[in-house]
Amino acid sequence: MAVQAGGVAESDVLSQHAQEYASAARRHRAFGITKGLAAYATLSIFALIAIVPFLYLLSPSFRKSYELFSYPPKWIPSSLYTGNFGTILHQTSYPRWALNTLIFATSVTVITLIIDTLAGYAFARLRFPGRGVLFGLVLGTLMIPTAVLIAPLYIMISRLPGWTHSGINTYPGMILPMVCSPLGVFMMRQFISTLPEALVEAARLDGGSEWLIFRKIVLPLMKPAIVVLGIFTFMAQWVNFLWPLIITTTNDMKTLTVGVSSLQGQFVTNWGVISAAAVMTMAPVIVIFLMFQRWFVQASMAGALKQ
Amino acid sequence: MSTVSAEKAWDELTLSEAEYRRAGARYRQRRSLRAYLFLLPYFIPFIAFLLVPALWSIWLSFNRGGILDPAKYVGLENWRSIASDTELTGAIQNTAVYAVEAILLVFTLAIVLALLLNRYRKGSNIFKLALYVPLLAPAVLVGLIWQFLTNFDFGFINLALDAMGFDRLNILGSGRLALLTIVLAEVWRGLGFWTLYFLASLQNVPEELLDAARVDGARGVQRFRRVTIPLLRPMLLFAVVIAIIANFQVFDTVYVLTQGGPYESTSTMVWFIWKRLFQFQETGQGYAAAVVLLAIILALTAISFRVLGARRKRRA
Repeated sequence: MAVQAGGVAESDVLSQHAQEYASAARRHRAFGITKGLAAYATLSIFALIAIVPFLYLLSPSFRKSYELFSYPPKWIPSSLYTGNFGTILHQTSYPRWALNTLIFATSVTVITLIIDTLAGYAFARLRFPGRGVLFGLVLGTLMIPTAVLIAPLYIMISRLPGWTHSGINTYPGMILPMVCSPLGVFMMRQFISTLPEALVEAARLDGGSEWLIFRKIVLPLMKPAIVVLGIFTFMAQWVNFLWPLIITTTNDMKTLTVGVSSLQGQFVTNWGVISAAAVMTMAPVIVIFLMFQRWFVQASMAGALKQ
Repeated sequence: MSTVSAEKAWDELTLSEAEYRRAGARYRQRRSLRAYLFLLPYFIPFIAFLLVPALWSIWLSFNRGGILDPAKYVGLENWRSIASDTELTGAIQNTAVYAVEAILLVFTLAIVLALLLNRYRKGSNIFKLALYVPLLAPAVLVGLIWQFLTNFDFGFINLALDAMGFDRLNILGSGRLALLTIVLAEVWRGLGFWTLYFLASLQNVPEELLDAARVDGARGVQRFRRVTIPLLRPMLLFAVVIAIIANFQVFDTVYVLTQGGPYESTSTMVWFIWKRLFQFQETGQGYAAAVVLLAIILALTAISFRVLGARRKRRA
């Protein structure tokens, strides 16, 4: 280059290149910063969209309903009115609904954890005829929509031939049909498959029974998977609506989702009361979520990612 | 020790081939039996509450009654009656429109957000947390929240329209907007999940492949289209399948927000099934519609596997 350039000094060309390079780098950096700002702005907007509607509920729950219609709208209540929460606690069965939800979701979770861990272990580590077929059967049912099952389940629970009592409005009737999610078995099998096989083999050579091996060696290693499946199952039942809606007909057996939605009929335009119920329902969950956020995220991903 | 007694001792210690085979069979039998014992606690409810009801639902589609009184066999009558039912075709159409809009919108937004979170990791945790919060709300509460947002008098959307000088809208009272509200409510609720899902998928893409493409002069968009997307294909397939299965079952938000109205314009398939079974006592139509839903979901799953899964097979 310098030779061809002839009269022009080599250093001049170089410094010209350096300058061009420097200004290009500056432009690039400036462009990068702008891009970064735009990215963070976009993320912030969506984070706000996710959060603000919850805050939007908070304000009416602390106000009398007619204040909602004031014009211009007031966001910050002039005085904190807690009567809406009193109404919910004393004039509705809210505490009972909360208890029902707790019993329902906890029972489903505990039973699911026990039976899914056992089945997952068998599918991952034990050898028996029909293993592939049975596992395929479990996976195949993943696609069956709940709406298809509700009619037969309702008929089954309400009056199976030979049953003296109807299972409608009973805890077992609510709980038992929800315990056989195929996803849990799948998750557990996948997790147990990742545990070192040598551990199990060694225990088998030492003459441990399968049950002992499962309890003393496999189970302690499964704590993370159990926590994840536990949260996953509990959350799935906590938001469950269609099944409790169908299987409960008395006010006292409703779960929170069904109960809170029934408030709409009871307190037609009393938005203060309805939003107070929503706030009371969400607040504990958000607190628990913030305490155990890592597990929550893993739980919701587990079903999806462990293919 | 004489050779005879030594052989005798050896025979006592070892098994003949037949004995050996028998012992092996006994061992395998015991082993399988134990395995079945591990499976039993799961398979009892699985058969009783999943397998049997699934098959039963198909049988029920040839019956009527059942909820209040014993079911009666009526042959093909239910199928004839829903074949000409415009409400069911309307519900199928609404569900399809809803599902397509919701899935396209939430996937687009989630992929964009996931790409941003993947590129700008500083402080990304707070955004992830915020996006996750709507997932904690049951769909019923999501419905309530969106009732507040769309309320004519004090809803945020109408206040905003008012402030910008537009006319207020009776959002849930107009068919098209009501269905759109249900779409937006679901997108709002699902965005966090899908963002985290695609983010986790993106983080599984090996950095070296992207670097190699960069060295070869591939620009950002090209890298995304030619490297990231093909590698994400299995994840995308899985996402499409579970999104279809979930969204074709939309019910809770419909129940809370619109009750299928106005004029059945937000009636979805599960809403139709629920109403026929538990409100109108037209159980026969409900049973048949449930089987239609099952068939649609199975067909769509199969199509997704065909479309998104095929390319991978051909390459491998």
